[in-house]
Amino acid sequence: MKKPLQLTINGELRQLFAEPFYSLLDTLRDELHLTGTKKGCDEGDCGACTVLMNGKVVTSCMVLAHSAHDAEVTTIEGLAPGEELHPVQQAFVEYGGLQCGFCIPGMIMSAAGLLNDHDDPSEEEVRLAISGNLCRCTGYSRVVEAILAAARVMRNEKELLTERSN
Amino acid sequence: MARFDYLEPHTLKQASSMLQRYGDQARIVAGCTDFLVRWRTGVWTPQYVINLQHVPGLGRISYSARNGLRLGPLVTVQALERHPAVREHYAALATGATSFAAVQIRNLATVGGNVCNASPAGDTLPALLAFDAQCKIVGAESERWLPLGQFFKGPGRTALQPGEILGELRLPPTPKNSGSLYVKHSPRGAMDISAVGVAAAVSLRDRGKVIDDVKIALGAVAPTPIRAYGAEDMLRGQTVTPELIRAAAQAAQALAAPIDDVRATGTYRKTVVGVLVQRTLEKSIEMAQGGQVPFEVQRRLAIQTAF
Amino acid sequence: MVDFKVLEHNHPRIDAREKVTGRATYAADVYLPGMLACKLATSQRGHARITRIDTSRAEQLPGVRAVITGKDYPDVHFGSGGLKDRYIMARDEVFYVGETIAAVAADDEITAQEAVDLIEVEYQDLPAVVDVLDALKSGAATVHADLPDFQGFGFALGGDNVCTVLDADRGDVDQAFRDADFIVEDTFRSQGINQGFLEPMACAACLEANGRLTVWASTQGPYQVRAQLGLVLAMPASNIRVIPMELGGGFGAKLRLAFEAFPAMLAIKTRRPVKLVNTREEAFTLNGPRLPVTNYIRSGVTRDGRIIAREAYSIFDVGAYLGAGPNSGVGHGLGAYNIPNFRLRSYGVYTNKVYVGSYRASGVADMTFAVESHTDNIAHQLGIDPLEFRIKNALRQGDIAVNGATLPRNGLLETLQAVKDRLGLPKKLEAGRGVGVALCEWRSGSGPSTAAISVNEDGTVSLLTGSVDISGSDTSLAAIAAEALGLPMDQVIVARRDTDLAPFTGPSGGSRIVYSQGTAVQRAAVDARQKLLALAADRLGVPADALACEDGVVYVQDNPPQRLTISQLAAMSVSSRGGPIIGMASLSNMPYTPVFSTQAAEVLVDQATGQVKVTRYVQAQDVGVAINPMAVEGQLDGGVVQGIGRALTEDMLFDENTGAVRNASFATYLMPLAIDLPEIENILVRVPAEDGPFGARAVAEPPGFGPPAAIANAIYDAVGVRINEMPLSAERVLAALQGKAAEAIPLDVAALRRAEELAV
Repeated sequence: MKKPLQLTINGELRQLFAEPFYSLLDTLRDELHLTGTKKGCDEGDCGACTVLMNGKVVTSCMVLAHSAHDAEVTTIEGLAPGEELHPVQQAFVEYGGLQCGFCIPGMIMSAAGLLNDHDDPSEEEVRLAISGNLCRCTGYSRVVEAILAAARVMRNEKELLTERSN
Repeated sequence: MARFDYLEPHTLKQASSMLQRYGDQARIVAGCTDFLVRWRTGVWTPQYVINLQHVPGLGRISYSARNGLRLGPLVTVQALERHPAVREHYAALATGATSFAAVQIRNLATVGGNVCNASPAGDTLPALLAFDAQCKIVGAESERWLPLGQFFKGPGRTALQPGEILGELRLPPTPKNSGSLYVKHSPRGAMDISAVGVAAAVSLRDRGKVIDDVKIALGAVAPTPIRAYGAEDMLRGQTVTPELIRAAAQAAQALAAPIDDVRATGTYRKTVVGVLVQRTLEKSIEMAQGGQVPFEVQRRLAIQTAF
Repeated sequence: MVDFKVLEHNHPRIDAREKVTGRATYAADVYLPGMLACKLATSQRGHARITRIDTSRAEQLPGVRAVITGKDYPDVHFGSGGLKDRYIMARDEVFYVGETIAAVAADDEITAQEAVDLIEVEYQDLPAVVDVLDALKSGAATVHADLPDFQGFGFALGGDNVCTVLDADRGDVDQAFRDADFIVEDTFRSQGINQGFLEPMACAACLEANGRLTVWASTQGPYQVRAQLGLVLAMPASNIRVIPMELGGGFGAKLRLAFEAFPAMLAIKTRRPVKLVNTREEAFTLNGPRLPVTNYIRSGVTRDGRIIAREAYSIFDVGAYLGAGPNSGVGHGLGAYNIPNFRLRSYGVYTNKVYVGSYRASGVADMTFAVESHTDNIAHQLGIDPLEFRIKNALRQGDIAVNGATLPRNGLLETLQAVKDRLGLPKKLEAGRGVGVALCEWRSGSGPSTAAISVNEDGTVSLLTGSVDISGSDTSLAAIAAEALGLPMDQVIVARRDTDLAPFTGPSGGSRIVYSQGTAVQRAAVDARQKLLALAADRLGVPADALACEDGVVYVQDNPPQRLTISQLAAMSVSSRGGPIIGMASLSNMPYTPVFSTQAAEVLVDQATGQVKVTRYVQAQDVGVAINPMAVEGQLDGGVVQGIGRALTEDMLFDENTGAVRNASFATYLMPLAIDLPEIENILVRVPAEDGPFGARAVAEPPGFGPPAAIANAIYDAVGVRINEMPLSAERVLAALQGKAAEAIPLDVAALRRAEELAV
């Protein structure tokens, strides 16, 4: 039987009903129609369902919906406010870091999670950060390039902000 | 994939009495990374799922030089990997944690879940064994302590009795002049369950020439993670030489009784465990002698892709 | 080199924004009011008669709306490659573990799954055969007793399980072997492989009020799905509309009808939309991976290093049905070499396992592993440098290819030289390290291709094609249209696909899209351009050849201010004699245009564990003209990484008694991760093709062919052991290093030769 559940998704408090056995992934897709987060394997092995939960990257297929009660979740739809793309999204577009696109929401969320913690990652650190995200199309080369480029952009933006406030 | 009810107790005692009430219709979960896979394939079919995440205090890591390391069962593998005291004093546990799956799973999986899942290949388990971890087991009315070595009873089986929950892990302080490392063998540099895993912890004396104490634990080569006591005895008190390390590796190898499975044959595992024991010992001794190896270097050693 | 305005420049994909924001709609993202969830019941036996199937308890479960079995479908066989050997859902007999025997539509997935668990089935086991070499032996269990009755069945040489044989012969191969100074023979085996697309197949179906069936599918071949669906539902194809959704990887697995008929039939029965989303397990067990290939290759070589004779027997395990059509093996038994005398044979053999699908030029990666390992073996035995040996024997323009076509202008030699220069070959690396080379060959794909371009009143053009976008093909096709029309990229709108809207076209695969579909687009664009120029000539009062068309403007070359914009011309066309401007093109076969790639791997072998690490990878491919260099490199990167997975870690494992897939999960079927890979160095060689849009060649498939042999050859260079079986796992390498002889591959070539003499 569905039970009530509330959580903050992309900055908005949502109240809904979910079966005890629903995953966060199923709830996002089937109850909230946020279909940007993808189901690639439903067993935590491919990373296509990656979201940020309380600031940490997690595979949402491995999270029981009710265990996310009162959590703050960011999905690909909430990464950038409005029409402007997040630097990671923009970099993926410019550097060709995508092909079929199915792994991309999860890949971008993993990248965003990395760059939230770490503003100057090495290439190895980028590769490790996305080693929970399977991609079958790109061979990862341009994905890594895009993430490193996004890191540069975000560092520059931060520097500009710091300069301005000084 | 059978339907279940979801419960969130607020104290350990409450959790324990829920467990007792529902018996084998109930299962404790934390990070759910093992649970959901087995539930979806129909291996586990509980009617009640009891999530410990809101029981206060279970997610704490604390360290002191005098008391050592205390880990609540809900400490995530990622938290373990990141903690400065774990990296500094229990490097094999940090490297076990870093070699585990990938960051998304590490942010969910808990050390308590790893221990209670009792997989012979669990990546944090050999280090916990090597550091002589003690388990606090909490029942509805009682509490007891058990060495980790006695906690594992077989693949997926533990010493927990009905109604009992793992409440804490305690690792004694590590001596000065010590070094440790976990190394796993797997086809890929992330995500894989180990085909073989080895943890070694060594402390030296006489300016790094003599082995004061050593612990060696092997994963994925027996029904549970095991200590290689015979190899340890051979090394304790001895002067470090390449021949000695090789002999100890062979002794450890003799203790391994690996099976064939989809990941590797028993024969192959037997060969590789000897190689990994040798390398892990060599590196641990180097670390005990020379000191700091940056964590990213330890990680490369741990996931076997640098060799 | 020609100065292109649009081609040879990097363009972001036209669908990039939708994909990075999560707004691209894949088949599983389709939600319709009243939609039901579909789950499948599958066979747990490898070969059995279904003696009883009882769905009554499933039907009675609250929330279940319909349950169907094989008998709910018309008694119609269908198949691929002309051989109609299967029912869409098993009727009386099952042929592999994982074959669908029933389907349920229910209010939600968990109810549908509970209903599946309530379906009762009883089987009578029949003899099964799992290993393909066993299936070839006389006395083996027969997979399909009805094989001679199947429509499209021609003949077989020996054994009841051979369903296709392809052959190619030239010259007098037996005499050439007698004339040769050395004879080298090898046997190779490559493993079962899964395409590993990230998007599990999914399909939603709905019966419209007017009785037509709409299907939203994850597919590379919407027209093929439409045709085959019509066949198995006994419905005219025109009654079916297939809307291919954004495709999350296909690589050939999604070229044909897979299971769309299940939600379709349930939609018909329930009168409600029904959606089926495969589980990841089903992606392994339900349909279409690649199965093992066994290759015997024998070459006759002269003292000075010329290959003058080649004999090759390739055994393709096809599983329970000929799913992917006749294997392409026989065309690749020579490799990229000029061999005047040959006998090549390629067998498709049934076993009781999941049937084969396509995978990025199926079979050619297996052939290339065998041929290129064998090539190195010959070179080493003769004491000739492997790269020089390849240069000596490589095909040149004017040579006759295996298919009888004369080889046109191509960049094969340039690719060999590029790799040689980049790596500084020949070179000896330090202990445990080695370098190996593989030369890969393929052809640009053909097949029916259509395109229509209509000029919009705002000066943009709409491009209508039936091809599904894979590998960024939409962006490439838009680039071709833009180049031909003298427009910037963002003025070309690529219409969404829908079998009701676009003209018939072949499926997206086989390196067809840029080369063949791209040619259709180029011709349609040229047609539209000619009509624009004709109209402009009329209105400006000048001959058409005095005009140029650039940047959206048609102008008099000697007097540029005399001009009309495309937007103005579009408005004028409405009332002109010719009417609104539409450019069209349709073609079915393109000339033979080869594609060559040279690849090289540097490896580090851990001699204590056998673990192999690729430390450097270089590939040089003749792309002709790079429509979109960024996208071309993306294809090269992705293909090589698929090949590295095939070479080192991927392996579909089958139970030796039941044929069931043992590792139907990403946890146990191991595809490369970002941490496992070196930088892939790509060198684009440009020898424009004589045909193809602006001289572009197909790109996407050869990258995957090279890694297995390049890595095997590098392992030999590093540690002196030759591994003939894939994957080149640590266990195999260690066993070889320890001096253990590898198990012989029991292919009885003598029996195959004898069987042929009998038929002759």
